[in-house]
Amino acid sequence: MELIVSLGIGALAGCGVWLLLRPRTFQVIIGLSLLSYAVNLFIFIMGWVRGGIAPVVKPGAVDPSVFADPLPQSLVLTAIVISFATTALLLVVLLAARGLTGTDHVDGREPGE
Amino acid sequence: MLLLLLLALPFAGSVAAAMLPVRARRVQPWLAAGVALAALGVLAFLQSRVAAGDAVRFEQAWMPAYHLAFSLRLDRFAGMFALLVTGIGALVVLYARYYMPEDDPLGRFFALFLAFMGAMLGVVLSGNLIQLVFFWELTSLFSFLLIGYRHGSVAARDGARMALVVTSAGGLCLFAGVIVLGRIVGSYDLDQVLAAGDRIRAHALYLPALVLILLGAFTKSAQFPFHFWLPQAMVAPTPVSAYLHSAAMVKLGVFLMARLWPAMAGTDAWIWIVGLAGLSSLLFGAYAAIFQNDLKGLLAYSTISHLGLITLLLGLNSPLATVAAIFHTLNHATFKASLFMAAGIIDHETGTRDMRRLGGLRHAMPVTATLAIVAAAAMAGVPLFNGFLSKEMFFAESLKVQGPSRMLDRALPYIATVWGVFSVAYSLRLIHTVFFGPRSNALPRTPHEPPYWMRFPAELLALVCLVVGVLPALTIGPVLAGSVGALLGSETPPYSLSVWHGFSWPLAMSTIAMAGGVVLYVLLGPYLARGLGTTPLLPPIDARRIFDHALLLVSWRWARGLDALLGTRRLQPQLRWLLLAALIAAALPLWRLGLEPGPLPWTAVDPAFAILWLIGAACALGAATLAKFHRLAALLLAGGAGLVTCLTFVWLCAPDLALTQLLVEIVTTVLLLLGLRWLPKRVSTGRTAAQFRAALPRRLRDLAVAIAAGAGMAAISYAVMTRPLPDNAISRFFLAHALPEGGGANVVNVIIVDFRAFDTLGEITVLGVVAIAVYSLLRRFRPARESLGPPSARRGQTDAAAAEDVLVPATIMRAMFPVCAVFAAYLLYRGHNLPGGGFAAGLVLAVGVILQYMADGTQATEKRIRIRPLNWIGAGLIVAVATGAGSWYFAHPFLTSHTAHLTLPWIGEIALPSAFLFDLGVFLLVVGATGLILIALAHQSSRRRWS
Amino acid sequence: MSEGLRHLVVVPVVLPLACGAIMLLIDERRHAAKSAMGLASIALIACAALALIANANVTSMYALGDWRPPFGIVLVADRLALMMVLLSAVIAFAAVRFSIARWQRAGPRFHSLVQFLLAGLNGAFLTGDLFNLFVFFELLLAASYGLALHGSGRVRVRESLHYIVINLTASLFFLVGVSLLYGVTGTLNMADMAQRIPGVPGADRVLVEVGAAILAIAFLVKAGMWPLGFWLPSTYAASSAPAAALFSILSKVGIYAVLRLWLLLFDAGTGATLLLAGGIATIAYGTSAMLASQELARTAGASLLISSGTLLAAMGTGIPEAIGPALYYLAVSTLGAAAFFLLVELVERVRQPGANLLAVSAEVFAGPAPDADGEDSTEAKMPAMAAILAVAFLGCALLVAGLPPMPAFIGKFALFTALLAPAAVPVAGWILLALITVSGLASIMAMARAGMRIFWGSRLRSQRIRLVEIAPVAGLMAVSLGLTVAAGPVMSYMQQAEREVHSPRGYVEKVLSRP
Repeated sequence: MELIVSLGIGALAGCGVWLLLRPRTFQVIIGLSLLSYAVNLFIFIMGWVRGGIAPVVKPGAVDPSVFADPLPQSLVLTAIVISFATTALLLVVLLAARGLTGTDHVDGREPGE
Repeated sequence: MLLLLLLALPFAGSVAAAMLPVRARRVQPWLAAGVALAALGVLAFLQSRVAAGDAVRFEQAWMPAYHLAFSLRLDRFAGMFALLVTGIGALVVLYARYYMPEDDPLGRFFALFLAFMGAMLGVVLSGNLIQLVFFWELTSLFSFLLIGYRHGSVAARDGARMALVVTSAGGLCLFAGVIVLGRIVGSYDLDQVLAAGDRIRAHALYLPALVLILLGAFTKSAQFPFHFWLPQAMVAPTPVSAYLHSAAMVKLGVFLMARLWPAMAGTDAWIWIVGLAGLSSLLFGAYAAIFQNDLKGLLAYSTISHLGLITLLLGLNSPLATVAAIFHTLNHATFKASLFMAAGIIDHETGTRDMRRLGGLRHAMPVTATLAIVAAAAMAGVPLFNGFLSKEMFFAESLKVQGPSRMLDRALPYIATVWGVFSVAYSLRLIHTVFFGPRSNALPRTPHEPPYWMRFPAELLALVCLVVGVLPALTIGPVLAGSVGALLGSETPPYSLSVWHGFSWPLAMSTIAMAGGVVLYVLLGPYLARGLGTTPLLPPIDARRIFDHALLLVSWRWARGLDALLGTRRLQPQLRWLLLAALIAAALPLWRLGLEPGPLPWTAVDPAFAILWLIGAACALGAATLAKFHRLAALLLAGGAGLVTCLTFVWLCAPDLALTQLLVEIVTTVLLLLGLRWLPKRVSTGRTAAQFRAALPRRLRDLAVAIAAGAGMAAISYAVMTRPLPDNAISRFFLAHALPEGGGANVVNVIIVDFRAFDTLGEITVLGVVAIAVYSLLRRFRPARESLGPPSARRGQTDAAAAEDVLVPATIMRAMFPVCAVFAAYLLYRGHNLPGGGFAAGLVLAVGVILQYMADGTQATEKRIRIRPLNWIGAGLIVAVATGAGSWYFAHPFLTSHTAHLTLPWIGEIALPSAFLFDLGVFLLVVGATGLILIALAHQSSRRRWS
Repeated sequence: MSEGLRHLVVVPVVLPLACGAIMLLIDERRHAAKSAMGLASIALIACAALALIANANVTSMYALGDWRPPFGIVLVADRLALMMVLLSAVIAFAAVRFSIARWQRAGPRFHSLVQFLLAGLNGAFLTGDLFNLFVFFELLLAASYGLALHGSGRVRVRESLHYIVINLTASLFFLVGVSLLYGVTGTLNMADMAQRIPGVPGADRVLVEVGAAILAIAFLVKAGMWPLGFWLPSTYAASSAPAAALFSILSKVGIYAVLRLWLLLFDAGTGATLLLAGGIATIAYGTSAMLASQELARTAGASLLISSGTLLAAMGTGIPEAIGPALYYLAVSTLGAAAFFLLVELVERVRQPGANLLAVSAEVFAGPAPDADGEDSTEAKMPAMAAILAVAFLGCALLVAGLPPMPAFIGKFALFTALLAPAAVPVAGWILLALITVSGLASIMAMARAGMRIFWGSRLRSQRIRLVEIAPVAGLMAVSLGLTVAAGPVMSYMQQAEREVHSPRGYVEKVLSRP
């Protein structure tokens, strides 16, 4: 199980990094969103509790060890929101850049020029 | 206190001069002269108060932590220099009033002039070395501005720049040297430094300190090999030269060397460095001076030579020589200043300074001729003029010097005599060519005597030369005695200031020098007559050109090369650097400490989960490969990967995450879809083999980086997952206290809106800010031309027909809006106890809104529902902040949660935790922000129809 | 501490948030009201900071939501943090004042963005919680994206694209680092973490270090350390003048974070060499960039790089006494850069278009042409406006080049003294001394070249420059001169801050002590 998750994270991260290094803006944005999936999972598994149940507590005494760690979950929530916002911004910026520079190359000019 | 006044006067005057209106040209000189004279008066009064060997001090705490105080210190030695600075300054002011052209408002000139005077006073009066450097740099700065005063001409600019670069480089060296010296002594205070002479000379850092400080001194005093800036600086207006290059600035280096003489002199290193620099400047300057055609050029080289003389005398390590040095400093200041003024007068009246064109001026301007002759005689060291006395002292010293090298000691008298010959020669040439010989009639202006007051300063100085030359003991004696005493203290040697020492070797040397000089001049006559302006026997080196080219090379070509080498402006290399840096940073500890998996065993693998992740990885890889040419596919695949992540969250009991991730997925995909159409079409043109090979190394490198990054992430997460959670993790606390104190069963949500609500506050603000940024950017957005026009599928279709196509989905979508709204409300309400919450709710509602836009287009929607997203954002933020601030009312810290129990009609009493209000704020903001972004993008498609 | 004063700590964060939010509700065209509001809030922030500094002898801790640390989020106001808050307030005030002339109309919601940026900055300076630090980093970054794009235009958008992509990547690193540290130590509170790290079992130690290293990279990107800082000069040069002035403090946030966490979580030994090397490389690159830059704004950006490098290297020498002067130098160089960025815009406005390239090519190809000393003194009469600009430029040049009477000189003096203080001066000390001296000379040459090109070489267009625009520059100059005069007290404050930073125990106790 652990192995699968970690390999999954690795795969997402690797593909993200690869795309991040590509010259086209769209590739970069897809790469960033893949990377952020990887990072979200990474944060999440920091609170890896075997067989932990969803952290919704009942009244009365609670035994912490049976729950999945809630803190990383809330951190991931924050991270999701922020990465959503920044992705949106990046999208608009690259549209504007494409509109103003006439190309979708990250440097605003085709390599040849 | 008076000391402070003395220092403050010139600066105050400078400010005043700058403030005066342009019309006030008449006032300016009076102001400046007044300031200079007032300073002189204060100085004279203070001098009278200073006992021999003592000093008046003024101290004001500045940086006690560094034992640094703002301290002024006036002893007789500093007094003598201050006298030169203020006295000659006053005369130059008077002179400048007539010299400067009528149409020059003079405001800038006198402001700079006085500021420079102040800086000079600051240097000579400084009581600690750091403060000395402080003012030293100021003199460099103001001299730069004064030399470049006529910045219209290229020559002025180059000369100024050269002076600045050379002197400020020296200044920085001096700074470093002083720091080192301070480390040796343990204090920057002048008294302590002077007291610590032996310790300094014995210290290991003595040589570095010495070299650095001397670099400062040599550059300032134009000593070989840093002499070349001085002749270039002659482009300055003549009053500036008369002041800076005779009495004031160039004397600073000498001042510094003399000031530190008791502390640093007396070693072989000193005698070698200082002595040799002085010797070479002395000879070179005098020799080069003979062959100048420009009056001021000749004077500049002779200045170099005389400063070399002073430096050499200081370098001889003998007190008597030091006396001679100080004495000559005074004399040189007087005669050189008056000569510069004379040169200026000639320039002013005839319109040229070129000695090849001048001639026979004694008829036209007899008075000027006389005073020039007097000053030149002093310069040549003719008996009965002040130059003679100090020259005799020099000759006497040269006979009995005992340096480290016998050879040099023996050679010195001959060198001295040769120098004498040269000086006589160039003085003679100056006088003879300019005032005697045939009257030249090719002058730009017809020469005549200048106005009386313009002559006066030069006359006065010439008179001084004469009087001092005749009656030294009576006139200059006390001043000299005082300053020497202040400098040398106990080791002040006996010396006699008298014209006649009887028949002695020095006298003989002088006589030889005289005769030799005349002979040399006569012999050189024909050569000089040709007026080539070149110096024979010396390689034809134009120091200025070399300097300029070197400067250009270093400060421009090399700099650009280095810049291009070290830096880049392209994005991909930067990202590569960034990732590499991170990889290396992470790899270092791994390599040092090694990483092994944790103790916990694996948990049983669920095949379904494995398959899920096979799909996930496949999606990721697909997205990676397709993103270039098949954007839509890549987008969907990436969404698939996201979906897998989402399912993983479900699997691993994180319902909130799953829900939020899902919604975000949807919205993001919609956004990207809206955006896709503005990107240029890319069709895969099968790349040729050549292209492929060209791109291969780069791609392999990137591939390596990618694989390394992925592997690293995988390894670390595996290592973490096989380790138990630290049992004192703070999340335990949250689980325990969420319900009793946070008032919510859904711990994650309680953390979000209560335990760590401050995070959430920041996070939603981020969302709002981004929305604003998007909005303001898209208002200016101009899509690329070819992406305007209807999408290919719709070409040649009427809007009605288009409406037909989407009729059915449109109806459904319209129906969706209320559903969304209700669902959102539900999520918002239950959020505190079950998965959900303000953020998810907000997204849902936003989706509902955008569905409306899809259904019936921008205008129609906005006709029906008018949303002002910015207001939603603002309102949401205010609600959240207000909720937080509300707790101040109960004297609790920001964001402390409460539960208000209020009774509503029908419903009855309900518990309303403040956290709920906070969540409401979140909800509002999220609706506003998401809506704003989506709508702003959606508007783009309708831009065509509007514009 | 008194009840009211206790809440002062949170004001620098909450006030700008509220202001920015309210401004969103005000109609877009009412610039006067907004700018007044913005200035007022900034002034209040400055007052709050001053009030806290006034009794800064006790580091004040503020537990948000009344959840006691380490569980809740805390704000910690010690001398270092307060100084940064005050500095950013001063610069923001100048920038907003400047923007009133024209820039606030160049795009919507300028003032809100500034307020949010301030909120982010102050939050980052004050927070005592690692993840909260991330959130505020994101806030200030988001605001800075908005400001960098302010005024739009081809170059701006292109440079912003680079800026955004790079910083998004850095933020992902930040997340990885933070979560890793949580996963190992089980806490997010900095003080608590500092307490727990020594107790981490040996096998997990490596994870701590990996997390810290990745975190450091995220910070160093902001600080613009070579080779992570290439975006800095380009982006800052491309963005509008007030935005660039505000950004000059942004690059210092990275420095701040490194200084704080590094000395709090680890002993000064770990990674010092890397900091030193990076700092030295940064100085070298910044110097070359400064000499090589053609447009003035880029020169200003390069000066920021140099100052970042100097600070990093000063930290890297591992000489404790170097921190105090470094902090003083930080404040000074930031003020200088901000003033310079503002001035550049005015200067460029009065220049002939394309004057740069002409001057450069003249210098490179024709070489210095010797000509007769022209006696014409027409240029002795500068137009008053040009004269004022020239004086302001001179001030900036002195500030950037570290010449007296500007305080950068004092800062260098103190730094050098500290470097040579130890009984056995480390080689690094000598290298740094030499390098800083050389870069000082280089910046003198660069500034002199630029100044002569602008004010001596070419005729200036008679453009109207309003007093509103000169005033902020003059104000920043005045503040700097004030720092020279008051060098004594300011420096002692910095040294106290230095002592605080070097004794993390005090910080930890302050935060975790049960009230």
